[in-house]
Amino acid sequence: MAEAGRLSGAAPATPGLSPVTLLRIAIILGVLAAWELLAQSGCLYRDVVPSLLAIGSALIELLSHADYYFNLGVTAGEIGIALLVGGFSGLFVGVVLGANRYLSKAFEPYLYYLGPTPKIIFFPVMIMWFGIDTESKIALGTLSCFFPIALNVAAGMRQIDRVLIRVGQSFRANALQMVWKIYLPAMRHPIINGGRLGFGMALIGTLLAETKLSNKGIGFLIIQTYSVFDMPRMYAMLIVLFVLAIGANALIGRLGGLDSIRRA
Amino acid sequence: MAATAPNADDAILVVDDIVVRYETPEGPITAVDDVSFQVKPGEFLSVIGPSGCGKSSLFNVIGGLLSHHQGVVTVAGETISSPHKAIGMVFQEESTFPWRTVTDNVAFPLELVGMPRDKRIERARHFIALVGLEGFENSYPGELSGGMRQRVSLARTLAAAPKILLMDEPFAALDEQTRLLLGDKVLQIQQQLKQTTLLITHNITEAVQMSDRILVMTYRPGKVKRIVDIDLPRPRNSEIVGSEAFGRYVAQIWNDLREEASRGMRDEESHMLHHHDHQGTGS
Amino acid sequence: MTHDAAIRRPPRAQVAPAAVGFASIVTALLLTELLIRIGVINRFIVPPPSEIADSFYRLFAEEHIVRRFLLTAGECLITGVMISAFGIAGGVLMHRVTLLRQACETWVAAFAAAPVVLAYPLFMVIFGRNAWTIIMLAFVAALPPVILKTIEGMAATRKVLVDVGRSFNLTPTQQFRKILFPAALPAIFLGVRLGLVFALINVVGVEFLINYGGLGQLIEDLAERYDLAGTYAAICFVILVSVLFFIALEKIERWLRLVD
Repeated sequence: MAEAGRLSGAAPATPGLSPVTLLRIAIILGVLAAWELLAQSGCLYRDVVPSLLAIGSALIELLSHADYYFNLGVTAGEIGIALLVGGFSGLFVGVVLGANRYLSKAFEPYLYYLGPTPKIIFFPVMIMWFGIDTESKIALGTLSCFFPIALNVAAGMRQIDRVLIRVGQSFRANALQMVWKIYLPAMRHPIINGGRLGFGMALIGTLLAETKLSNKGIGFLIIQTYSVFDMPRMYAMLIVLFVLAIGANALIGRLGGLDSIRRA
Repeated sequence: MAATAPNADDAILVVDDIVVRYETPEGPITAVDDVSFQVKPGEFLSVIGPSGCGKSSLFNVIGGLLSHHQGVVTVAGETISSPHKAIGMVFQEESTFPWRTVTDNVAFPLELVGMPRDKRIERARHFIALVGLEGFENSYPGELSGGMRQRVSLARTLAAAPKILLMDEPFAALDEQTRLLLGDKVLQIQQQLKQTTLLITHNITEAVQMSDRILVMTYRPGKVKRIVDIDLPRPRNSEIVGSEAFGRYVAQIWNDLREEASRGMRDEESHMLHHHDHQGTGS
Repeated sequence: MTHDAAIRRPPRAQVAPAAVGFASIVTALLLTELLIRIGVINRFIVPPPSEIADSFYRLFAEEHIVRRFLLTAGECLITGVMISAFGIAGGVLMHRVTLLRQACETWVAAFAAAPVVLAYPLFMVIFGRNAWTIIMLAFVAALPPVILKTIEGMAATRKVLVDVGRSFNLTPTQQFRKILFPAALPAIFLGVRLGLVFALINVVGVEFLINYGGLGQLIEDLAERYDLAGTYAAICFVILVSVLFFIALEKIERWLRLVD
């Protein structure tokens, strides 16, 4: 829009690059350069800061072996089930607490204050109850994601525009229709936000449990690289993990954002 | 009070001795006290009164959303204790579902009773056109103006083919011009469909413009103060607002209302003072 | 509508819910105790609540839980100071240099959502299995909310206040010190509070994971010794500490808000 006025004789080679993008690229390049310098300088214990090349090749190595995808599958499965169980129970509890003022006052404070505690400390209990195999990891993941989902859904229920409920009642909708056609759609934003948070918590809970005690999964792979001091591989794994985690978070967020045109 | 009551056999809606009481920390208050009236098929009846006359309580009782009351409401002979399919409600606040398109909003009551999809959409389209929103079938309420959204709510209620249309100050949130034009639209539709309509309002002009009869209510406890027959020729539109007869009706009703509205104001002021005193002494 | 008090309940009913909630928890504990004693629940998986209660004494007498608590608290404190210093400074810098903010704010937000704690093996390699790993990891995880809230607070300063400053010809530094910063304080405190919450969570979590430190390590220790009742008791203690911590933070924030 204002571009036309600003373009003068010296047109840049790539006219689309804004100063912001340029700064971002500069920062990234700067960090990478500093990293490589540190790696080559040898002033840190070897491989604590491996050269970018080493990390790069470890990355390729990682992603080209079926082994990694097997473990990724295991972890993804655990997170999936944790989200399913934690999600549904969180939804149910959230709906009940949101619908009933009395129950909310009686029990919601417990959820609210228990929510921010680090769930990993419950892992020894999960092992006692569910054994040392996948079940205990799923259990910890479930525990982790239950709270944000329940709390968000409860808050969402209370924020529903009351008139919409009266509309449903005036048209004599039955309970199932009220929930499916009115309550849930009216709460789509809190539900998605809760889901986003829940996903993050389930991810952390499951993975940390895997690092503590497991023989498969991404967490297990990471702690394995630690024990054999294979740093390039550890960095590669962490990079992939963070990209996936941030990507999934953004994806779920986008799901909620697609709604933005419909929002009244 | 019963001077112009229609023959009970004709009436499609019978409101009989309704009393509504609430518990408050200051003691029980009577919102509606012994209100009775009847509505004939095809009639347009407005209920007008000052704030605090119990209009909304009455609206909720007739609509079946408030079952805690004395007295009986019957529609076509059946007693109302919960929302009845013969009664369609249009609320004062924004009530369209923001996540559904206009068509899906209007088709909502049809969806609830399991009407097949094609029939639903066809019927919804008919009512969307009736309220003058052709072209907006696939829009979302967020993309529409306030007046348009109220039209969607109206279309939605009409799509359920209620015997009685019950509206609670549906134009209260709109500006004057939109209100007048929408009033015209509602009148036109009502006359076209011969829809029995009960309109709750505080706007005298609106009431006189649209109604066959007007029920004037007192301030709390709300009773029927007077029922006025509006003998203006039909079909009507906003043009008659300027006529002499119109002005006389408005003046008459305003006279009644002014008394009640003043009482209401004085009552509120004394309540505020009382409250303020209490707070001051920290009791 | 005039009297919206119309449907309010008398205050008497307000006390009951909290009591009912508490009573339910106590009842659940008593029920668990009963079920364990009659053998329905295996006492080697769930120790009786009475035994757990007894273990509390042991935690204080033998496990030096007070010293451990102070250690954890110390780690949190150091983290708190670091995130406040770097977070507020960073936020202020990003607000001042608009280009920097435009380039990096979304990165910081993305980082806030990233599971930093998962990189603890990396931190162990860099810092060793000691308190610095714990502090540095908590620092990295808790920094983003402080930065973001600081930026938000300064950006949300009502324009009219800025204009008032301009009308008095304040220099940028004066503008900052006398108007922008004070106006942003509520948001900044909220950011620091969020950061402290993140810090505690990560400190305790990492202590557990790397088996070093105060309270988190205690749980790990007791679990490895198969001291069931002790493990449960220690977990309860940690929950109690974190709940009290959050409540204290809320009260402080509310008090600060009133003073402002």
